[in-house]
Amino acid sequence: MIFKKAFSFIIRDFVLQTSYKFEFFLRLFFMFFSILTFYFIAKLIGGAGLQYLEPYGGDYFSFVLIGIAFSGYLTTAMRGFSESIRGEQMMGTLEAMLVTPTNTSTIITLSSLWSFIFTSFRVLIYLLIGAFLLGVDMSNANLFAAMVILILTIICFSSIGIISASFIMILKRGDPINMLFMSTSELFGGVLFPIAVLPGWLQNVSHILPITYSLSGMRHALLQGYSLHALAPDIIALAVFTVVLVPLGLLAFKYAVKKARVDGTLVQY
Amino acid sequence: MEYSIETHDLTKKFALQKGFTDSLRHPFRKDEITAVEKVNITIGKGELFGILGPNGAGKTTLIKMLCTLILPTEGTAYVNGYNIAGDSGKVRESIGFITTDERSFYWRLTGRQNLIFFASLHNFYSYDAQKRVDELLNIVGLINRANDKFLSYSAGMKQRMAIARGLLNNPEVVFMDEPTKGLDPGAAQNLRGFIKERIVKEQGKTVFLSTHHLGEAEQLCGRIAIIDEGELRVIGSPEELKSTLDKPNPTLDDVFLHYTGKEFKEEEASKHPYSERKRMMREGRRGMMRGGRIGGIGF
Repeated sequence: MIFKKAFSFIIRDFVLQTSYKFEFFLRLFFMFFSILTFYFIAKLIGGAGLQYLEPYGGDYFSFVLIGIAFSGYLTTAMRGFSESIRGEQMMGTLEAMLVTPTNTSTIITLSSLWSFIFTSFRVLIYLLIGAFLLGVDMSNANLFAAMVILILTIICFSSIGIISASFIMILKRGDPINMLFMSTSELFGGVLFPIAVLPGWLQNVSHILPITYSLSGMRHALLQGYSLHALAPDIIALAVFTVVLVPLGLLAFKYAVKKARVDGTLVQY
Repeated sequence: MEYSIETHDLTKKFALQKGFTDSLRHPFRKDEITAVEKVNITIGKGELFGILGPNGAGKTTLIKMLCTLILPTEGTAYVNGYNIAGDSGKVRESIGFITTDERSFYWRLTGRQNLIFFASLHNFYSYDAQKRVDELLNIVGLINRANDKFLSYSAGMKQRMAIARGLLNNPEVVFMDEPTKGLDPGAAQNLRGFIKERIVKEQGKTVFLSTHHLGEAEQLCGRIAIIDEGELRVIGSPEELKSTLDKPNPTLDDVFLHYTGKEFKEEEASKHPYSERKRMMREGRRGMMRGGRIGGIGF
């Protein structure tokens, strides 16, 4: 039943998204610009910083391509849930959805499904362009291990996104979780450069962010074909984050919905 | 007698948002406003019950509590025998909510796509959903425009779509919040006929209707409750209410004036609730409403 319901949400969002045809086209088109920007930066850098890039195969473009592609999941998780609440509140459709037997957490989760599908599509485009047009070598990729990392990453990031959505449910704007994770993850999470570049004391910050393990695991799986055994440190770290964050996210959301129902602010924005 | 809706001392108090200086000066003081106070109503199956009151009287808060969108502060209520606080899922399975807010649809989807989506939230999928949606589109007379985008619909058509959506799950109780608001007199009259003949008489549903239109309440409702400042002032049939006045040929306007002390102004009553709420919050911050009643907020 949940799959049929999920399908309804996907169809709804697909039709809405494609009804803005020009925006849809622009989003696809400008994807190429960011890839090309990093391609030329990588060309400029050449072999500099090789000692930092060695664990990931030594090529900066391959390193950064995986970083910008998969960090999109964090952005989607952080924005997808909270923006789906805010979007429905602003469109005025949330109230009509909340008087149905489908519970609030299902509505919010399924409302962000399309964002994850679009992000996955974007990641695929990034990887295909990188591999077939710009010389990124993924011939040894361990796709199964990459999928394991990806699933853990999505669950883990979604839990943070749900905590963020809980704040939006109560505060409406100014969610601290979003700001905290978005600003720290890009700097400390190893998106654009290896965390080994950071001073030792700052690397401690990197180690408490899930994105660090997600990107490290994904790079090792896709660029160097690490086995699940070799990826165990990253997988275990992501699993621990997941075990802690999933119940925390669900509890936070349950509390937020109850508080919004008590305050009568469920559909306000 | 079996009731569709029962409330027992149903009360809702909202915490008042404090301003920055108030929060610093009195961090632990809890300011509240009472939107609904100790409301006791029983509504029988198949009844068309109307609730009347000036803007901010507590009508919408009462409806939203019964629809489980807002939790009561005190008291209990049962809809179709289910407790609104404890069995909110069961309550939502058995009710339909018809709002006048045309924004509550996806404007870039067609009428049919909108209804199919909302049907899935009521656990109708594929063939069942198609069948139910077609049935309802026929009932509300929109089957020929079902594949047009919602944004191309007139106000009356949007309202009929809202009715179709409210009936998707074949609910036993239907809540309607100002169903004829924004319609021209002809369309409003048609809709009233539809509510009375098709929804109540033919389908035997219980309708709980809030309205700002005295004529509408008189024409449609078997019983009317007048609510003001969160308190229920009087309940009865239009004729019973009129007979309580010591005046020749009283109208429902006279009844309203008698029980609320206020002239009924439809334009004033139809103002957007949020503008009133903003005003009251501003006044609340100035300390004008400490511990007071809402008296003007439409939640």
